[in-house]
Amino acid sequence: MNIFLKLGWYFRAEWRRYAVAGLLLVAVDVMELMIPWLVGQLIDDVLAQRLQPESLWRYVLIIAALAVVIYVMRFFWRMYLFSASFQLAELLRQRVFKQLTTMAPAFYNRHRTGDLMARATNDVTAVEMTAGEGVLSGLDGLVTGVLVLFVMLMFINWQLTLVALLPFPFMAWFFYVIGNRLHDGFRDAQERFSDLNDRVQESVSGIRMIRAFGREAREDEVFLSVADRAAEANMRVATTDSLYDPAIFLTVGASFMLSIGMGAWLVTRGEITLGELTSFTMYLGFLIWPMFAYGWLLNLVERGNAAYTRISALLDARSPVEDSGTEQQAPSFDVSWRIGRFCYPGSDNAALANVDLLARQGQTLGIVGATGAGKTSLINLLLRYYDDPACEVGVGGIPVSGYELHALRDLVAVVPQDAFLFTATIAENIALGKPGATLDEIRAVARLAAVEQDILRFPAAYETLVGERGVTLSGGQKQRIAIARALLLDAPILILDDALSAVDVGTERSILAHLREARQGRTTLILCHRLSAVEDADQIAVLSHGELAELGTHRELLARQGWYARMFDYQQLERAVVSGR
Amino acid sequence: MYQDDDLPRHVNRGSLKRLLRYALAYPQLLKQAAVFLLLTTLGQVLGPVLIKIFLDDYVTEGVYPLRDITLLALAYAAMYGVSAWAGYLQSMRLNEVAFSVVRRIRSQVFATVMRKPLSFFDHEPTGKLVSRITNDTEAIKDLFLQVMATFVQSVVLIVAVFIAMAFLDWRLMLVCLLMMPLMVFVMFRYQRLSAPRYHKARSILSQINGTLSESIQGMKVIQLMNQQRRFDQRFTDTSQSHFTARMRNLKLDALLLRPMPDLLRTLTLAGLLLFFGWQSMGAAVEIGVIYAFINYLSRITEPMLQMTQRLSMLQQAVVAGERVFTILDDGAEDHTAANQLIESGEVAFRDVSFSYDGEHPVLSDINFTVRPGEFYAIVGHTGSGKSTLMSLLMRFYAPQSGDILLDGKHINEVDQNSLRESVGVVMQDPFITTGSVRENITLGQDMSDEVVLAAAGQAQIHDYIMTLPEAYNTPMDERGSNFSTGQRQLLSLARTLAHKPRILILDEATANIDSHTEAVIQRALMMLRGDTSIIAIAHRLSTITAADQILVLHQGVITQRGTHQQLLSEDGLYRNMYLLQQSRVV
Repeated sequence: MNIFLKLGWYFRAEWRRYAVAGLLLVAVDVMELMIPWLVGQLIDDVLAQRLQPESLWRYVLIIAALAVVIYVMRFFWRMYLFSASFQLAELLRQRVFKQLTTMAPAFYNRHRTGDLMARATNDVTAVEMTAGEGVLSGLDGLVTGVLVLFVMLMFINWQLTLVALLPFPFMAWFFYVIGNRLHDGFRDAQERFSDLNDRVQESVSGIRMIRAFGREAREDEVFLSVADRAAEANMRVATTDSLYDPAIFLTVGASFMLSIGMGAWLVTRGEITLGELTSFTMYLGFLIWPMFAYGWLLNLVERGNAAYTRISALLDARSPVEDSGTEQQAPSFDVSWRIGRFCYPGSDNAALANVDLLARQGQTLGIVGATGAGKTSLINLLLRYYDDPACEVGVGGIPVSGYELHALRDLVAVVPQDAFLFTATIAENIALGKPGATLDEIRAVARLAAVEQDILRFPAAYETLVGERGVTLSGGQKQRIAIARALLLDAPILILDDALSAVDVGTERSILAHLREARQGRTTLILCHRLSAVEDADQIAVLSHGELAELGTHRELLARQGWYARMFDYQQLERAVVSGR
Repeated sequence: MYQDDDLPRHVNRGSLKRLLRYALAYPQLLKQAAVFLLLTTLGQVLGPVLIKIFLDDYVTEGVYPLRDITLLALAYAAMYGVSAWAGYLQSMRLNEVAFSVVRRIRSQVFATVMRKPLSFFDHEPTGKLVSRITNDTEAIKDLFLQVMATFVQSVVLIVAVFIAMAFLDWRLMLVCLLMMPLMVFVMFRYQRLSAPRYHKARSILSQINGTLSESIQGMKVIQLMNQQRRFDQRFTDTSQSHFTARMRNLKLDALLLRPMPDLLRTLTLAGLLLFFGWQSMGAAVEIGVIYAFINYLSRITEPMLQMTQRLSMLQQAVVAGERVFTILDDGAEDHTAANQLIESGEVAFRDVSFSYDGEHPVLSDINFTVRPGEFYAIVGHTGSGKSTLMSLLMRFYAPQSGDILLDGKHINEVDQNSLRESVGVVMQDPFITTGSVRENITLGQDMSDEVVLAAAGQAQIHDYIMTLPEAYNTPMDERGSNFSTGQRQLLSLARTLAHKPRILILDEATANIDSHTEAVIQRALMMLRGDTSIIAIAHRLSTITAADQILVLHQGVITQRGTHQQLLSEDGLYRNMYLLQQSRVV
């Protein structure tokens, strides 16, 4: 029941809705109980042959009026109670999202997308159920149960009540046990179902191999055995579920039999009337719901508690990088690294060691090296994806941790390795960082990135939707759109992180030429595999195993006959092979 | 998970009938279910009648003969017992029908998908196909388990209740019958109104989840562009519109779903009491009758409510059924008419051209003949068409023009089993199945231990297998993780050797395999040479220096052919590739 305390803040904030819903619920319960009582009275009048047309009309009209009022009240308590729980669900979802936007990339390395998604979907639903159905079954179950018992004990006959209720504890116990078994069964069935999904996924994606080895029949068998396991789990749930009706039927039957038997005896002795006995059996039917409600409530509370704990853990998580800097402006756009030794969290291997590097404002610095040489680590430190006291990375002489994160990100525009596009139009994707950009501005940067010709060929040009429901873009097109997106920011520092790898050499050359024009006086960092992208850079740094191996211009490095020169020759040959020569 | 979100306004009757016809395959179960259903319904309906007899004949009269009362009590208890028992059995039988039907549909659709032409998979996203086989059949399960069972039970119960009412007092029954048209009207009205609203809320929710998952993946970009606030605002807006949509649903539910049948029932009760009271003023009435009617009345609303709630499931199940039938009706690939067998293992390509989309040629005018026992190698840069050539040879696709001949017979006329047995493949990513090590070599074929051991020995994996806890009977881990990449390659080689193919296709791994594995494969191939025709797709030219013929492919055209020495002496692509591999820079 702890979860209701934990959600106390919400109940307090929404106390009006909950109070109105609660009052209406109680009122409905009281009025519902009046109907059997009226029926009993009417029957007694009939038996005593004292029923008059006026009193008959009065009974009937009161019952009809109660029915209407109950209907209206039921409508409203639903609206109040569930609107509160629905709103809680959206509130939690919104908070989770907001929290996610403040987390540094290292956080996302630790948490899988699926896990984060589960908290924003299944867990939120579980909490919502607790705040809606949970409150309902707790409150309404309690009120109905207490009221019915009270009426039975006080107004009809307490001995009859005790005897009639003998089978009910059995029903409550049964609901609890079956509810639990059903819940476990559901979970099991869900797991089996996801096994089935995995199995089919594997078969469909491995279809070529299945064909090549003629394994269709074997796959059928395996599939069927997994499907049968899923069906068995489902069957268990269905079997358990099928127990509900007979159990309710038997309990109520036994209770009816006891109350009619005992009731008849009491009627003969004149302790109760036949009308009262009729009301009594109608009340018995009212007791099924509270029995059910408690089994359900325990279930909901258990699930809601676990879910809310997971959501709270996410909402309380702190970003690995703190936004504690205060600087808003950079005195100049020099970028400098002075790194003793840098390891990623949880690793002992130095990703970078002894790197002392400076990119002057207005210059282009090329950073090359084999995969894993530490190129991207330099950028990760500059962007403060990771903080490390042993690394001094600065912009304009001020350490990056001295800047407000927002300000630092305004200084730098990055084209990352994997160009990520959102499900939106091409124009919106380019204007991601500057939502108010005009079409002319967007087209200008698209031309700089040499992607306008491609865009104009799409069905709706700049308004073409990207993603599953839209066009599929090639890797090169994605990269160039990401470049256009970064250029639109017109930031003092531009980083191309292997951002031209899927673009052919000719296009690369024209993009680089455009950049030189457009970015005079600004700093540009180009990280790449293909050396052609840095041939014209003011300086090229060659990294090897995290250390600075060579530094100089293209000519100087060629003359040194080191890694750079060997790589250059190799890539020349490679280009010949790709073109079929 | 893959989302489908089209929902028509009307249920397709043809598909519904076709789905229901599946259940007719289990007449025995259906008959039993029907008998049990009648039994349980009878019990449910007769209970109030017995109480009515007790109240009217004994309590009102004030006489209690022990024998009669005992008999009545026993009858009542027995009836409840039998009814509960029959009710349970009845739903178990229906469950069984439901699961049997779904099992059949599932295995049909899976088997059909597995046998579709490969080009089918080029157009259908994997997620969508998986959803057809799992989610859609699950929806069909709900049709039988939830919808059909509920409808049959409810309708039978309601009809039986009205019959019992008619026996007790037909005029009072007519009063109760008045509410039925209203209830049915509410039921269909609700279904009509709620389907599009629920659909709307669901699609907003899937939009929310889509945005969430996309934002998590693209969070770096969002942060780099300082767009957190904008994305946050947009998410909040979508989330609030979800709230609004759900409130619309809630309003409809609160108006028509649960409170409404209760209102109608209580109003009917009022009518019943009015009529009964009026009767009582003119003539003697039986209290037991009104008692029974009150009891019956409370049994009608719940089934009506259940049916109302399940109507939308019906619609979804039929839509799912339609999608599944589309896959079934399109049918599978059929090679049953082909009956030619492969004996010697000659492969010939005659002017073969191929294109996946009919627009961009992937292979053009390919011509070559591999005589039985020869070793051919195909080299070329990524995208040159090497893998496509292999796909054609395995009959995954059919060329647009030209012919592929195996032993001089057209590939389309070769028997499916003969093709699979005669053409062996060693794949880039070895295919490891669940099951034991031995089963991974035999692939379920009858094979003596000698053959298995010999093949494993030849592939030099026997010694490793013997170190495993249960040797050849050791189960493979998921995706074969108790074998290293190299060992998996060797296992795959052992499998191919054990099957003794006439034609061996070797798709060499792009990723570097260790030199030990490479040497083993080389030696094994040399042993097959002269006996088995070998076609190797090579990435590393060092492995094919001994080939009888090397074909150099560039953009779908054979640009050079000859032996390693011949090609090296020519100035061209092959020599450049060779030099490139010699000078690899690390």
